Amino acid sequence: MSDSIIQIENVSKRFGHVVALDNVSMNVRKGEVVVIIGPSGSGKSTLLRCINHLESVDSGRIVVDGIPLTEAKNIDKVRAEVGMVFQLFNLFPHLTALQNITLAQRVVRKRPEKQAVELAHELLGKVGIPEKANAYPAQLSGGQQQRVAIARALAMQPKIMLFDEPTSALDPEMITEVLDVMLDLAREGMTMVVVSHEMGFVRAAATRIFFMCDAHIVEETTPDGLSLATCKEERTRQFLSKILS
Amino acid sequence: MEPSLASRKKSIAGPSQEAQTPALTDGVDRWWLLLLAVVVVTWLLVRTRPDPYLRIFTFLLDGVRVTLGITVASFVFIMIAGLLGGLGRISKNPLVNGAASIYVELIRGIPLLVQLMFIYYASPIVLRGLGQRLIGVLPSVAQWLISVKINPFAAAVGGLTICYGAYMSEIVRAGIESISKGQSEAARSLGMSYFQAMRHVILPQAVRVILPPVGNEFVALLKDSSLVSVVAVADMTRRGREFMASTFLALETWLMVALLYLVMTLFFARVVAYIERKMQFVR
Repeated sequence: MSDSIIQIENVSKRFGHVVALDNVSMNVRKGEVVVIIGPSGSGKSTLLRCINHLESVDSGRIVVDGIPLTEAKNIDKVRAEVGMVFQLFNLFPHLTALQNITLAQRVVRKRPEKQAVELAHELLGKVGIPEKANAYPAQLSGGQQQRVAIARALAMQPKIMLFDEPTSALDPEMITEVLDVMLDLAREGMTMVVVSHEMGFVRAAATRIFFMCDAHIVEETTPDGLSLATCKEERTRQFLSKILS
Repeated sequence: MEPSLASRKKSIAGPSQEAQTPALTDGVDRWWLLLLAVVVVTWLLVRTRPDPYLRIFTFLLDGVRVTLGITVASFVFIMIAGLLGGLGRISKNPLVNGAASIYVELIRGIPLLVQLMFIYYASPIVLRGLGQRLIGVLPSVAQWLISVKINPFAAAVGGLTICYGAYMSEIVRAGIESISKGQSEAARSLGMSYFQAMRHVILPQAVRVILPPVGNEFVALLKDSSLVSVVAVADMTRRGREFMASTFLALETWLMVALLYLVMTLFFARVVAYIERKMQFVR
């Protein structure tokens, strides 16, 4: 596959006695939106965190944009190309929304202040909160914080965006505002790997869906195939019956 | 019944709200008044009984300068030592971590007074011995080691730095560890290096957390600096001893010394409290 941007080959990872990933393989092509679903503790987040090396793998190989992570001389360079959005936002509380978005641009990308600020304003507009530039994270709602976090990741102009349950910590009415931003991104052709159970988003945006269970990828399907009737594996059907009802 | 209940509620709520925010002390740190009281007492003593209090006061002034100088100079080095020690304590490198941990554990177990004695009186002997062994190998270095004189001020600053640096290391470590792991993960996932993440994300937040204990350390250091009087530094305590030795006015001398220490410690405690309030940010 010449256009694959993430290659995960036979990756295993354990935390003490707990096996988080067991011989997992997966490919993501440029422009794809891959969604990983599955019960909690099945290894979804761990897999995502391995892609930008927040966790190191015990065995196997991950190649991101042509660079094998285990052999990468400068992991920071790889990470700069991979944006990540966290469940709990992880905004920097001592900086304003604008400063959250400009910090890495200036420090990592070495962009001049003026250019970084311009891009930050542009991105805040894109995620729909241009008026919150000077607000501190504590002054923002959860949905607004998560949108700032998305803008912060986008400011690095990454080739890939990873979303780790981006809406799980949000009130229901704030979920849509975050999902809308993610949908826009998907439409623009951003390569995305998303851990989420928001079926609306999955149906609207996903190219492929992976179902994970007990450290394995149990089944791969498409939005059209994501139903009780079409899923082959018993475990997938069990899980779907719970979240689709 | 209803209106009377409502009016009673109001009458209860009214005064208690006022009591929470009395107009006079609103926004003013009341502990400044204690400092003011101590300053007034000192001033009254000096004005009403210039003999001996004004004499003591002028005699001690040199010492006040030395005490403040030693405290401030040491504190600068202590902050550096604490930052390095704290980063060492959380380092994943076993060598760095081991060195920092041994430093902290050993130094915390030895009294400051003993450390000062060691540096001033014992370390020249160690250096001389080292010099005598090296005389055949590196004559110039050996000569320097044998003839080196320990400067009292440097010994005092060095001793205080080594001792308080260990305490400060633990404060810095605890401060960094109090910042959630998600913060460094977010910083690293944006491509920042370990040190960039420390510098721009973790430490700015940790500083706000550790400011109260760091302020305490400064005040404690100011008081403990009196111990340097044993290594020939003419700080306030030593000046007090000199004055007492020549006049035998024990009560008056140590009363004045105590008051002057109080003025300094109360003042800096207020300054720390003020900075703390200024640096609080919305969470």
